[in-house]
Amino acid sequence: MERSFSKEVQQLRLGQGETFHGEGILAVTKALLQSGVSYVGGYQGAPISHLMDVLVDAEDLLSELGVHLETSTSEAAAAAMLGASINYPIRGAVTWKSTVGTNVASDALSNLASAGVTGGALMILGEDYGEGSSILQERTHAFATKSQMWLLDPRPDLETIVRMVEKGFELSEHSNTPVMLELRIRACHVHGAFATSDNKAGEYNRNRRLEEPVHDFGRITLPPSTYAQEKHKIEVRMPEAIKFVREHQLNDHFDGDIKDVGIICQGGLYNATLRALVQAGLAETSGDSRIPILALNVTYPLVPDEISNFCAGKSAILMVEEGQPDYLEEAVNVILRKADLQTKVIGKGPLPMAGEYTAEVVLRGLSEFLVQTSPKGLDLAAATAPIQELDQHKAKAAELLGDVLPARPPTFCTGCPERPLFSAIRILEKELGPTHVSCDIGCHTFSTLPPFNLGNTVLGYGLGLSSAAAVAPNFNKRVISIMGDGGFWHNGVTNGIGSALFNKADGVLMVIKNGYTSATGWQYLPSTLREREGRTTGASIEGVIKSMGANWLRNVPNYKVGSVMKTLREAMTGKGKGLRVIVADSECQLAKDRRIKPEIAARLKNGQRDVRTRFGIDEDTCTGDRACIRLSGCPSLTIKANPDPLRSDPVTTILDSCVGCGLCGEVAHAAVLCPSFYKVDIVRNPNLWDRFKDGLHRRFLGDMTRVRV
Amino acid sequence: MVEVTEDTDTKPIGLLIAAMGGEGGGVLRQWLVDAATAHGLAVQSTSIPGVAQRTGATTYYLEMQSDKGTAVAGSNTKPRPVMSLYPLAGNVDIMVASELIEAGRAMQNGFVTPNCTTLIASTHRVFAVSERTAMADGRFDGTRVVTAADSLAERAVLFDMEAMAHEHGSVINSVLLGAIAGTHRLPIPIEGFEAAIRDTGRSVEANLAAFRAGFAAVERGDLKALVPDSELKRPWRGDPPMVEQLQHRVRDEFPGPARTVLREGVNRLFEYQNLAYAERYLQRLMRIERAELEAEGHGELVRDVGQYLALWMSYEDVMRVAQAKLDPKRQARIRAEVGAKPGEPVRIREYLKPGLDEATALMPGWIARPVLAAADKAGWRERLNFGMTITSTAFWGHSLLRILSLLRFARPMGHRYQTEQKYIDEWIGHIAKAATLDLQLATEIAGCQRLLKGYGQTYQHGWQSFSQIMDVLVIPALNGDTAPGDAAVSIAGAREAALADPEGKALEAAIAPVTPVTPVAGKDLAAE
Repeated sequence: MERSFSKEVQQLRLGQGETFHGEGILAVTKALLQSGVSYVGGYQGAPISHLMDVLVDAEDLLSELGVHLETSTSEAAAAAMLGASINYPIRGAVTWKSTVGTNVASDALSNLASAGVTGGALMILGEDYGEGSSILQERTHAFATKSQMWLLDPRPDLETIVRMVEKGFELSEHSNTPVMLELRIRACHVHGAFATSDNKAGEYNRNRRLEEPVHDFGRITLPPSTYAQEKHKIEVRMPEAIKFVREHQLNDHFDGDIKDVGIICQGGLYNATLRALVQAGLAETSGDSRIPILALNVTYPLVPDEISNFCAGKSAILMVEEGQPDYLEEAVNVILRKADLQTKVIGKGPLPMAGEYTAEVVLRGLSEFLVQTSPKGLDLAAATAPIQELDQHKAKAAELLGDVLPARPPTFCTGCPERPLFSAIRILEKELGPTHVSCDIGCHTFSTLPPFNLGNTVLGYGLGLSSAAAVAPNFNKRVISIMGDGGFWHNGVTNGIGSALFNKADGVLMVIKNGYTSATGWQYLPSTLREREGRTTGASIEGVIKSMGANWLRNVPNYKVGSVMKTLREAMTGKGKGLRVIVADSECQLAKDRRIKPEIAARLKNGQRDVRTRFGIDEDTCTGDRACIRLSGCPSLTIKANPDPLRSDPVTTILDSCVGCGLCGEVAHAAVLCPSFYKVDIVRNPNLWDRFKDGLHRRFLGDMTRVRV
Repeated sequence: MVEVTEDTDTKPIGLLIAAMGGEGGGVLRQWLVDAATAHGLAVQSTSIPGVAQRTGATTYYLEMQSDKGTAVAGSNTKPRPVMSLYPLAGNVDIMVASELIEAGRAMQNGFVTPNCTTLIASTHRVFAVSERTAMADGRFDGTRVVTAADSLAERAVLFDMEAMAHEHGSVINSVLLGAIAGTHRLPIPIEGFEAAIRDTGRSVEANLAAFRAGFAAVERGDLKALVPDSELKRPWRGDPPMVEQLQHRVRDEFPGPARTVLREGVNRLFEYQNLAYAERYLQRLMRIERAELEAEGHGELVRDVGQYLALWMSYEDVMRVAQAKLDPKRQARIRAEVGAKPGEPVRIREYLKPGLDEATALMPGWIARPVLAAADKAGWRERLNFGMTITSTAFWGHSLLRILSLLRFARPMGHRYQTEQKYIDEWIGHIAKAATLDLQLATEIAGCQRLLKGYGQTYQHGWQSFSQIMDVLVIPALNGDTAPGDAAVSIAGAREAALADPEGKALEAAIAPVTPVTPVAGKDLAAE
């Protein structure tokens, strides 16, 4: 990370009777320390990256408490860390972005869940679902039920989140089962407050180490232990967990005066549900609701008698459960059937099967539920008026705005070193024709969006090359696969390159090496060149690829579009079969910016010479065909009103946010575009030679530089 | 002088911020949280940063409520209110948008309602990819957003906050905070916000200045929503003394509505070539003027043709580019654009890549034609070019540009000049003839000049589109094979289609129903 979290680290040191102010995910971090964890691990990804990032900066605190921190190279590696809690009374937690990370971790998780745990084992999962999500839309719930791991979905306020982390460890130890705690994006980023308690050191930790290994074949996932473990899950662990949830009242029950209906919601959706009720005039923001609510902070396992007690005497309940399939709705139906209760369960239908449950979506579902059930003692017209007004209002807005507003998809940052690679592929396409491009996960996935629209599949992190394995032999051109350095270390080196070389694959692989896992916030990689503390790990991508036996390996500087094209052309058209690996090597621009900006500021302050470079476009010669923008998409390369009184279409222009990466000029050359681009070097704190040269030129050149500087 | 319009004891104030990555939205959120906390408000905020860092759209949502009796957990007073993580239409008291289209999006999503919403939005534009890649003008009409804001918001505060931030060497988030404070919708005094800015400890002076400017602008209330394109135009060129006689002709022989444009055209073409060339411009327009007069027009056609003809006759070639790069005002313009301070030398390097087209432009036709034909046959036309970067602020680069610029005196002898003039005359002929049939038809034909833009392949492609429209739609209309009114409509449609995509797919689709088209690749400058 090229960013410091020292301020946040201070919050982690708060003790008994103090108040924490901050983000949800940081509150979780604090709760882990209050619970006495001995190890924390994980793989970064929105929205849980901060949990790890902050701890990386908290080395002193971790040493005091004896906590081991591991920045794992994949979720599988992180999940396997929980193995420490199988035999030993050690508490630990790992974190990643779900469900993609849980997919990667599944192998270790299934084995872990079968073996069971002695020390509390907690997974903090960023449930990246709904608006703002960057991944496919699935639920963690399925993983919990298939492996019998308990799933917590706390109400999104810091007190409840912290309480559930602490109770989660107890639940895990009490029932010998690993526990998942899922937090939606907004809950991870919610800023609030809670009363802290002192941090605790674990019973055993890196300052107070274990002395004897424990061998218990019952904890090994080999038959016949596995048969016993499955029975143990059903006969002991599940009943103990249900008992614990009931006795410790982990779920929240809010009563109300309207008795013939009720609402059961996932804990994480409680605030949205309450806000919908407030809007319908059925609740106060203090939490008082006229309709009774059962908020499930534990969504697996359910407590059958808690559900049936809540539903008894009610004609219908609304089940507010986000996502699909409707696991909870089905489970509640089964519980009621077994209890022989006739309460109707209404959920999917009035509420949508797919998509995020925003306050508006819940309000719409609630209104429909009320219409269907017309509960006694409730003014139906008043309660459903808000959603009708909202619809009318939106229709009016649409009419006034007319056209559809232009969308704003994410794109590569200004100066991003990945952009030139896709410019090169696009320009080369004109010469060689289009080919299949197998994409990977990372910032480079933005190549699939306008203006590049490049890429045919995205199959998973580090799987760019693997997912071309069966396309390549069936395609009449060499296929291009993309892989970032993040994906390379995550698993691309084995699943992709190892497999391709072993199977003598023919194709082109472009490894984009920018030095960080940039898309998740510039975390360091094994091949990161510099760390703030000056350490380097020394792992080399090129070295690894060579040692695996790849013969065709080239290293290109990204910004030189001409040489990228030349190398790519050679890879695409060269004779002989085999894997051709191009390592595109340029540091992430944002990380670089963060690193060098203070250096430049210091240089300028000390009166030292510095040259700032940026590009520009001549508005007189730009005819506005936008070929340059279509081949770049740089946010700094944009349009403005045409200053020429005879022209009306806008001209292309470059904003002051330009970092002078040079791509515009390179593309103008490589694609033979137009003579409007110019590069400006501004010499700050010029030395005598600069001034002499400048003066000489101005004297010679007369009117062109008649400007006084 | 805090006026709270809502009862914040029982109902939280909802504040939604729509921003884009890199605008400091997270810092703005932090300022608001800090200021509210310091003033004893219970506050909650959340965000969906996601991939916003990469210029995508994002939102931040805050709720705050008066803290009478509420407190954080652990104390024995009333529990904290349950606050929403989602904005809900009808509950958004302050809607902040850092850009005009984001304000439109907020309205589209229903978050701006007349019962409670104060809309605070910057009116500058950050163009979306679809707007930036459009070949002609793909910009969303911002006036629609302004009209909608006036109608949908309880109060709309709209002005260019980006420009104000730039003026104070700050980022837009501080102006937005100033505007929020200036509306007095939050029960926080101005000092509270200033303290929050100070606590951040970074760029404090610049941020405070921008904050105060935003605050004052809202208090004063003299806010300007949008600047129309027409106010961003360069002034018309002054008349060089030598063209005085031609300017007299413009005044005496041409109708009122056309005179301003024609005067600019004359000056521009005099600068581009010489007096005779400017005179030729007026001669060509005389034909149109007579035709329009016969058709009982009022000068609009001459004005439009005058505009397009001036642009066509000053077509971009090496000499014109060199001339533009040597413009005495250019260096001052660039210095201002890049923010070079006095005393800081700048070095300007031009990216040029002349090719075969540029080289043959100055050769006589009898040499150029076979050369280009041979190059086309061998597929070299687009590949024969050499890239160079010329430092125009240094002696040699400057001198080279000067020589290239002086070559314009040889321009009329060259192949390109002669072909361009031939096509221009043909086009003028079409317009003049069309004017006798239907003035609208003539106007639409004139407008096709807009397709001739760019350099190299883009230019070739524009030519193809232009020729296709002339062959398939214009000629039949002039021959009386199609009704002039219908033809005018289809020409306008085809022209827009030609500008819809760079591959010409939309154009093919647009003119396909008329007649099957054979590719007209040969009908470019080289083939003549």
